[in-house]
Amino acid sequence: MEWLLQYLLAGLSAGSTYALVALGLVLVYQSSRVLNFAHGDVAAFATFIAYTALSARLPFGVAFGLAVMFSAALATTFYLGILIPAQRRDATHLGQVIMTLGLGLILQGGAAFFWGTEPQPFRSPLSDTRIVKIGPVAMTELGLGTLGTALCCSLLLYGFVQRTRVGRAMRATSENLIAAQTLGIPTRQLVALSWAVGAALGAVAGAFLAPALFLDPYFMIDPFLKGFAAAILGGLNSLPGAIVGGLILGIAESLSGAYIAIQFKNTLAFVIIILVLLVRPEGLLGHEFKERV
Amino acid sequence: MDRVASYKEDLRLVRKWPEKLLAGILFLALCLLPQFGSDYAIYIVTLISTYAIGVLGQNLLIGFSGQVSFGQAGFLGIGAFTLAHLTRAGVVFPLALLAAGAMAALFGLLVGFPALRLKGPYLAVATLGFGIAVYQVLANWDTLSGGRMGLAIPPLAWNGLSKRLLMYYLNVGLAVLFTLATYNLVSSYVGRAFIAIRDSDIAAEVMGINLTRYKLLAFAVSSFYTGVQGGLLAQLLGHLEPQMFTLAETITLIVGVVVGGLARVEGSLFGAAFVILVPQVFASSRELVPVVYGAAILLVIIFEPHGFAGRWMKFRLYFSHWPFR
Amino acid sequence: MSLLTVSNIETLYFDRIYALRGVSIEVREGTIFTVLGPNGAGKTTLLKTIAGLIKDQPKKGTIEFDGRRIERWSAERVAALGIVYVPEDRGLFRELTVAENLELGLWGRRDNSIARDLEAVFRMFPVLRERSRQQAESLSGGEQQMLSIGRAMLRRPRLLMLDEPSHGLTPQIATMVYDALATISMTGSTILLVEQNARLALRVAHEGIILEAGRVVLQGTAQEIGQNDDVRDLYLGVGEPGTSATGWRLYRKRRRW
Ligand SMILES: Nc1ncnc2c1ncn2[C@@H]1O[C@H](COP(=O)(O)OP(=O)(O)OP(=O)(O)O)[C@@H](O)[C@H]1O
Ligand SMILES: [Mg+2]
Repeated sequence: MEWLLQYLLAGLSAGSTYALVALGLVLVYQSSRVLNFAHGDVAAFATFIAYTALSARLPFGVAFGLAVMFSAALATTFYLGILIPAQRRDATHLGQVIMTLGLGLILQGGAAFFWGTEPQPFRSPLSDTRIVKIGPVAMTELGLGTLGTALCCSLLLYGFVQRTRVGRAMRATSENLIAAQTLGIPTRQLVALSWAVGAALGAVAGAFLAPALFLDPYFMIDPFLKGFAAAILGGLNSLPGAIVGGLILGIAESLSGAYIAIQFKNTLAFVIIILVLLVRPEGLLGHEFKERV
Repeated sequence: MDRVASYKEDLRLVRKWPEKLLAGILFLALCLLPQFGSDYAIYIVTLISTYAIGVLGQNLLIGFSGQVSFGQAGFLGIGAFTLAHLTRAGVVFPLALLAAGAMAALFGLLVGFPALRLKGPYLAVATLGFGIAVYQVLANWDTLSGGRMGLAIPPLAWNGLSKRLLMYYLNVGLAVLFTLATYNLVSSYVGRAFIAIRDSDIAAEVMGINLTRYKLLAFAVSSFYTGVQGGLLAQLLGHLEPQMFTLAETITLIVGVVVGGLARVEGSLFGAAFVILVPQVFASSRELVPVVYGAAILLVIIFEPHGFAGRWMKFRLYFSHWPFR
Repeated sequence: MSLLTVSNIETLYFDRIYALRGVSIEVREGTIFTVLGPNGAGKTTLLKTIAGLIKDQPKKGTIEFDGRRIERWSAERVAALGIVYVPEDRGLFRELTVAENLELGLWGRRDNSIARDLEAVFRMFPVLRERSRQQAESLSGGEQQMLSIGRAMLRRPRLLMLDEPSHGLTPQIATMVYDALATISMTGSTILLVEQNARLALRVAHEGIILEAGRVVLQGTAQEIGQNDDVRDLYLGVGEPGTSATGWRLYRKRRRW
């Protein structure tokens, strides 16, 4: 029983990073209907920025802030400077998705070029070896910090989207772009904002994953794929779905790793998702946007 | 409307000489290469031919039928390991290669089933899962993948031809065959059905196209191509490891399709050449390869959505009026 | 004083399908101008072209609003001029509540008469106040139309363009919506009104045109249009041989435009 609890908690902690990644993906998908394949690579690059700042003996908070701001700026630049011109030139939807893949490749190669491909340790104030006891179960400091941060980020995002005027305008833009435009809502800026916030969430995930995974240009690929899967599981256009999907995925992985077979942990996650999709093609909490002809 | 018709006429007129000239030059070059080219050049052209088949397959799926697959590495691996095990068991090469394609096609059908209900990102995640599953099975099942030592494939011999030349003729010949077959496929009813599905599912169904059949067919055909590519690659390299079939391989194929030109058959050949040549050119700084790939994708989609093939078309049009414009 | 002058515009879909073939209208400030015509005539296209919702169109011709040339402007820039477009599908944010929809209609307004305008909307459409916490999706068709018009009012439009506001409404509700339009017009907004229901539209409009197959086939004051024999036969259904198919064919041959 205690073991089960332990695995559940470990799953929650891993799942909360997936949820963070998924939230960023969903935010961008909702606002621009583009699946951002560069999400993981933007986060990885931003984490390298934090790494460089840390190497220059800047305090962790500053390094973290730099990483978050960098990724937000990068994503906004990509959206306004590359995606919008491509849309003006009638790039297809698939074309736009593939462009994010291109951005991802550039960042991956760029990170390898500047920082090399050797895994580097990433220093964090939270240790991933020190244990915190909570009642009968134990958790690493880092795991606990991750869980807490993911929770805070989710709540903040929820509050922003539901309770602020800008957030509501973002939802309106996502639902009916044309109506929002004709009301004079600055849709382009709002979509750019959601790219920025989405990428910032990715950078947060990166900073919490790097200490445990070590830092190399490819360290976000796996979390990205999991976050993507979590987003699909929960429903690509539902923010609560992203969180639910991430947590379910984390727990399922942790339990299947413990009780079935550790080697096939990754595969099992995808098997679950494919099964869910066959029953509910729009994910657990999602409902696909009606196609506007 | 007559304006459009005359434009078409225009194209047909142009089709006459530059196309034939280019094809002729290419053919001549391919024939002469074994005599005059270096071993390295021969090897590179062999590799390009192998990849051309895979890029063609992926182009049929993405470019023509509009379905995205992120699991091509899985099909590639299935083809490669099928060929490896069959040839090791003594099956003759042509049969083993056919089996490699067929096995991949079978799995293609399997993956195609969820594709009937899934679209866009949902399909992407399902195929991605397939690719990862294949990789993990290979990585963890030693009898299948040869474990840490990998799997060696017996070399091919025929008529005393050197191994290098044999692989060259085999791959180039098959690439030509697959290119011609693809041309025929896309200009047949099937090809138009694929395009109709891509451009609008609902409309295609209303037009009486059997969606189930053609979506599955697109998956099966494209994974057959990829399976054959896997078989050829296995034979060419002579040695297999699971690590060769990761997401990176899938992305290479996608880059080839996009850079060559979505839904352009001749473009796939350019695309294959691109993804093979770039790593050669940047051999001394491998980190930059993805940067070049990525930049190429961005530039192509912004400035030339039809890829190299589209550029060639414009070039041709320009020279058809050459003295006058 | 003409507020909106559209001269000779041509709009094409996919660069080859003509939807408007040289349409000109002139809407005077403070009036209601109606555009009538059969299905597929290009009425919606006309409004969308003015609103900047059809990319790179009109291909030819000019649109002048308040002395400024606005053809091929983006939708945001057109909206910023105070031109509000209420589409045929009402353009609501279905997942947002009534209150939130109204709030977004106030986007960018900072003056101190917001509360008064909101009150005016609620006075005009009292149901909206009762339903203000309900999702727009759950409103009835008539209520949705009211919300859509109410939201447009909050933008204090200089030009309000409505696409078939009576579409799918019962006669009572349609009359109520039209009364609201008359009131809005009274407060100084100019209205460009696309309608299928000629009788309703001609009752409130000052001037109008009849559009067929992308061309203006008749223009004049509402009275002139209402008294044209063919309009009476075809649109108002007060001519002799009813609206049977043969009647239509006969009249298409005989019509005077
Ligand atoms: N998005 C589009 N793509 C292609 N053709 C279109 C499009 N929208 C409209 N059309 C065509 O343009 C013409 C005019 O359409 P429009 O919607 O403006 O008509 P309408 O007068 O509003 O008709 P209705 O009374 O049925 O609403 C029609 O022939 C229609 O088929
Ligand atoms: Mg209409």
